[in-house]
Amino acid sequence: MKILVTAKRVTDPNAKLVIDDDGSWIDDDVEYILNPFCENAVECALQLAADHDAETIAVGIGDEEVQRYIRQGALARGIDRGIHVEADEQELDSDLIAKILKALVEKESPDLVVLGKQAVDGDSNQVGQLLAEMLGWPQATFASDVKIEGDEVIVTREVDGGLEKLAVTLPAVITADLRLNDPRYASLAGIMKAKRKPLEELELDDLDLDGEEPKVRVVKLHEPTGRSAGVFVADVDELILKLTTEARVL
Amino acid sequence: MPTAPEGDQTLTAQYTKATDPTRAAPPVCPVLCRRPRVSNPSSSNPPSGSGNPLVSDADIRFLLGDVFDVASLLELPAFEAHSVETVDMYLATIRRFSREQLYPAYQLMDRAPPQLIDGRVHVHPLAKKLFAQLVDLGVLTADRSEDVGGFQLPSLVTSAAMLLMMAANLAAVGYVSLTSGAAHLIEVFGDDALRASLMVPMYAGRWAGTMALTEPDAGSSLADLRTAATPTDQGHYLLRGTKIFISGGDQDITENLVHLTLARIDGAPAGIKGVSLFAVPARRPTADGLVYNDVYASQLIHKIGTRGLASVGLTYGDQGDCRGWLVGPENRGMSCMFQLMNEARISVGVEGAAAASVAYHEALAYARARPQGRPMADRDPTSPQRPILVHADVRRLLLRQKAIVEGGIALVLKTAQLADLATHTPDGPERARLGLLLGLLTPVCKSFPAERGLEANSLAMQVHGGYGYTSEYPVESWWRDQRLNSIHEGTTGIQGLDLLGRKVMADRGAAVQVLGGEMTRSVEAAMAIGVEASWCAQLGGALRDVGETTRALGDKAAQGDAAGMLLHSADYLEAFSIVVVAWLWLDMATAAARRLAQTPNAPFYLGKRQAARYYFATELPKAGHLLQLCRDAEPSYGDMQDAWF
Ligand SMILES: Cc1cc2nc3c(=O)[nH]c(=O)nc-3n(C[C@H](O)[C@H](O)[C@H](O)COP(=O)(O)OP(=O)(O)OC[C@H]3O[C@@H](n4cnc5c(N)ncnc54)[C@H](O)[C@@H]3O)c2cc1C
Ligand SMILES: Cc1cc2nc3c(=O)[nH]c(=O)nc-3n(C[C@H](O)[C@H](O)[C@H](O)COP(=O)(O)OP(=O)(O)OC[C@H]3O[C@@H](n4cnc5c(N)ncnc54)[C@H](O)[C@@H]3O)c2cc1C
Repeated sequence: MKILVTAKRVTDPNAKLVIDDDGSWIDDDVEYILNPFCENAVECALQLAADHDAETIAVGIGDEEVQRYIRQGALARGIDRGIHVEADEQELDSDLIAKILKALVEKESPDLVVLGKQAVDGDSNQVGQLLAEMLGWPQATFASDVKIEGDEVIVTREVDGGLEKLAVTLPAVITADLRLNDPRYASLAGIMKAKRKPLEELELDDLDLDGEEPKVRVVKLHEPTGRSAGVFVADVDELILKLTTEARVL
Repeated sequence: MPTAPEGDQTLTAQYTKATDPTRAAPPVCPVLCRRPRVSNPSSSNPPSGSGNPLVSDADIRFLLGDVFDVASLLELPAFEAHSVETVDMYLATIRRFSREQLYPAYQLMDRAPPQLIDGRVHVHPLAKKLFAQLVDLGVLTADRSEDVGGFQLPSLVTSAAMLLMMAANLAAVGYVSLTSGAAHLIEVFGDDALRASLMVPMYAGRWAGTMALTEPDAGSSLADLRTAATPTDQGHYLLRGTKIFISGGDQDITENLVHLTLARIDGAPAGIKGVSLFAVPARRPTADGLVYNDVYASQLIHKIGTRGLASVGLTYGDQGDCRGWLVGPENRGMSCMFQLMNEARISVGVEGAAAASVAYHEALAYARARPQGRPMADRDPTSPQRPILVHADVRRLLLRQKAIVEGGIALVLKTAQLADLATHTPDGPERARLGLLLGLLTPVCKSFPAERGLEANSLAMQVHGGYGYTSEYPVESWWRDQRLNSIHEGTTGIQGLDLLGRKVMADRGAAVQVLGGEMTRSVEAAMAIGVEASWCAQLGGALRDVGETTRALGDKAAQGDAAGMLLHSADYLEAFSIVVVAWLWLDMATAAARRLAQTPNAPFYLGKRQAARYYFATELPKAGHLLQLCRDAEPSYGDMQDAWF
């Protein structure tokens, strides 16, 4: 069995991003982390691999720096090997990323692809779905529990109003939610092993995707407007009045 | 959302992005900082303190990358398995684990200390969980030799990691570092059989270890210890006696623990020359499994700090069947202990710097968030109150803490780096030279973070005003924890005697010569990059002052007045420490100047320079006065009589 998992690098949600005057963000000095949902995906792959003796592969897309996050976030935790697809992250959208992953799936023939349900930078929540569609594979998104039984994956999903349990046949695409698991910390033993694990470097034309254009273009970025200061209310009656007439939430 | 993120706060980045001005911004994240709960100070919420960085990432990056050049250390053959990348990854893991796991458990463990029930110590459940996690991460053997399954990281790196972990939760880490230290004694001095039977399960984290030196009648004066060891013809000894204050002396975390115990073999000479080292398992391994070894926790000590770590009194041999195995040669127990003492004393320095660091960051966040009063220039009573950071006196409280904390961190990392070099430098004479310097800095590393760190902890409390004096805010707990560090592993008084009586005077002051050479090199480097000439001159002057005072004290000793030489050993230690830390501040100012030459407005490096300025203006001048007292053998307390008190 073979499991492909994504290891996306995202801007640190706690870092202060700087946007320049013409509305694009300044990326040369940003703090990055591994996308938290990808950490769940990695953990999911590791747990499944332990139970089902699978080979695990982590994929990262972007500039060379991405390799550090593949090693630290995935290989040091126990993923067997990595693939880095060299690309300009500003020139990627969900569609193109899904195409890259599709090409990798065709190259590697995994039985299962596990992704984060979304990346915390763009919050698009599209890649898993697009990939499943392109591959013509079944998908189960927002997984909070994943089990493999025979040639099916049993996935519990978090949906409005409760949990939904799906059985999808392999090969399949799964996207991980935060409650799926508690990602392990990379141990020192894992870190030492990660150094020697293979990390394949690919260009877009290695995947016959040279010249593919993103379908979505970022037009402009701006900072959210600041929140205005609160006010003190005299009593509960005034609070209710304000909630009704000003906030219009009651 | 997961909590503390692992940022791109890496050494690699430190090298490759040296020219980015904004990268230098310190990583303290104001968004995460807990706001003071001033509107409801009696709220029963346990303070979470989440968002406290524990130790500044930018500072560690700066020290390892720019000041101590970890990359060149990693070029030593001993560290060939490592690279800057593995170091980065290890620190990233530890940083995150410290913030996400260790720190949230700290206050809970502080508030529910271990209990002694029916002769067994029961610790906080979180201590058990964290011990297992720390073992899994590899912390237990991070700096141990590959020969025993360790990862052989430099102490420089593991000390940086320890700073974070100890700042987060000293007690939880204590069980691990004690085990590692005790196993190390068996590794170095034990025979193959002991290594196989006792060391292996300890390094695997299945068993724990302790250091059992202190007795009720033998604390500072270990030469007077009385625990007895009677030889048998079966290879083991039978021990009888009592130990006190033994950290981690019992717990219900691991299935077994091994007490590395100092005792006196029957008929051994009096004093230090008759002390031997034994490995005494709490439960001894037999063909039928682990069997009670007649040593137990007879007492649990109720402490004001480090409350999550059990300190116990141990009773050996009540039933005449407590078996211990000799580690190292007979009557050489103290010298075995001493050979590994550097390790333990550096670790106390790390504890001190860590406890001061976490409190400093808490105080800094508080000062940014607590509105109180208005700046001198704005006395309009209708204007909103401003954060107390605007007051010059609060900035004094904070800058003094910064100078102590960052100076202390530099000191412990410098000492750790020397420990690496003095062990692994291939060239023999160079290794010996660095060994001298390590010996000299060890008592400074043990005592400066403890003594000045306590002051920093007190200042952190001061920043919190009345709230700092309550248990609703965490600053008081670090003050309590810190108080230990000038007492254990040899009190500050004992460190002063060690520095002046042994380290400084040995080989006619050879170690001080080495230090002088290093300081002179630092001054030259500082001058070359244009660091304030007055600081360089000041340090040069202080160095001469230390040299002259040391010679004068040496002459006293040569004339047979050893007591006169040592009369002001505590003042000598304090002065010496001030000068050593000034030297490190100069090195930091030099490294900062190199960065500022490229990025003149980078706040992190401007902050470094300002803290150096503070240290040279306010702290270094104190050394001269203290050294004068030493030279004059100022007689007030020397001549003080018991009856006059
Ligand atoms: C929380 C805690 C944990 C500890 N953990 C351990 C442990 O794990 N293992 C262990 O073996 N011990 C441990 N200790 C014991 C610790 O090392 C001793 O407390 C310390 O060595 C001091 O000994 P004492 O308490 O007997 O004080 P004393 O030796 O009675 O000292 C009292 C005072 O007299 C001074 N003094 C004593 N002799 C001299 C001298 N010759 N010259 C000048 N001044 C002197 C001291 O500086 C001190 O100020 C621990 C102690 C504490 C509080
Ligand atoms: C045990 C205890 C008993 C007490 N008993 C009483 C009592 O009986 N009656 C009573 O009325 N109060 C009492 N207090 C309150 C005490 O007087 C206040 O805590 C004290 O005045 C400090 O105020 P604060 O705690 O709000 O700290 P803050 O005023 O917030 O001060 C925090 C820090 O900012 C500094 N700071 C604040 N403003 C300035 C400024 N303008 N310039 C420079 N630095 C500044 C302070 O020096 C301090 O370091 C008590 C407090 C405690 C802890």
